Amino acid sequence: MNFLAIFKLTIPVMMGYVPLGMAFGLLLSKLLIPWYYAFFMSAFIYAGSGQFLLLTLFASQATILEIGIATFLLNLRHTFYGLSMISTFKNFSWKKHYLIFSLTDETFALLKTSEVPEKNREKAYLLISVLNQCYWILGSVVGALLGNILPFNYEGIEFSLTALFVVLSIELYKKNRLHKPFFVALIIGLFGMVLFPPQKMLILSLCAAAFVLIVFKRSMENGK
Amino acid sequence: MENSYIIGSIAVAAILTYVTRIIPFLLFRTREPSPLIKYIELNMPLMIMVILVFYALKDVKWDVYPYGLAEIIGVCVAIALHVKFKNALLSIFIATLTYMFLIQKVL
Repeated sequence: MNFLAIFKLTIPVMMGYVPLGMAFGLLLSKLLIPWYYAFFMSAFIYAGSGQFLLLTLFASQATILEIGIATFLLNLRHTFYGLSMISTFKNFSWKKHYLIFSLTDETFALLKTSEVPEKNREKAYLLISVLNQCYWILGSVVGALLGNILPFNYEGIEFSLTALFVVLSIELYKKNRLHKPFFVALIIGLFGMVLFPPQKMLILSLCAAAFVLIVFKRSMENGK
Repeated sequence: MENSYIIGSIAVAAILTYVTRIIPFLLFRTREPSPLIKYIELNMPLMIMVILVFYALKDVKWDVYPYGLAEIIGVCVAIALHVKFKNALLSIFIATLTYMFLIQKVL
């Protein structure tokens, strides 16, 4: 896979990360936090919803302990992503630490669906991950510096991430040998969206999905 | 806001976010993943992806006008295009444009 092909894969993430990063940077500048902290947060934390949460906590002057607990709980979902990457990353060099660090929702989605031949995999994965983080850093710094003065109306462009997840769900559905988990996840996701509190929706739904997947292993594997 | 408070918070958030990402790799560093873990590895991504769709829609207000209509149409456009043309970029691009057009100009 050459650079262009990989870049093309990441375009939907760019369309989502740049404007979302800008929204983050804008919010940060409204709290009167210097712009370079937007860079540091996007470079070292690199978790979209986690960083928004951090700003909310800053605004309410939360203690560092509270910040730690809230961040950990919000990002616990990443554990599930890693769980699906263990064998893939297994034989990679030390650079896999960057891949682990940068495993966001969207990067996970791209890595899991990109079909890279095994011998180029590590390089391609690194490139995807680095590009995605660059989009995020770029967006957040631009947003912090000049979010207020940009003239064009990009309202709604973050829907590209929703569309990305829709498309990748279809791709994984076609690839997956078992199809029952798809329908179970549809039901859990729908219920989760309606019933669970928004901030906890993702982790609760993922736990429910993992629970059903494990407990009903036999019936998942029966039929198709 | 004090610099030390901001820096301390960023450090704590960065470390704990990384911890959530590295946990599974630490757990299975030495032993071979069991068949159960392999089964989870194989099937969880599909479930995660579907749930992420709903997660992305979690802030939609379904009970007030326009009742999430733009989101529903956007998702349907993405599905229809993707089933028909199997071109991820095209599906995502047109669905997003449709959505932006709807929320900016129509609804």
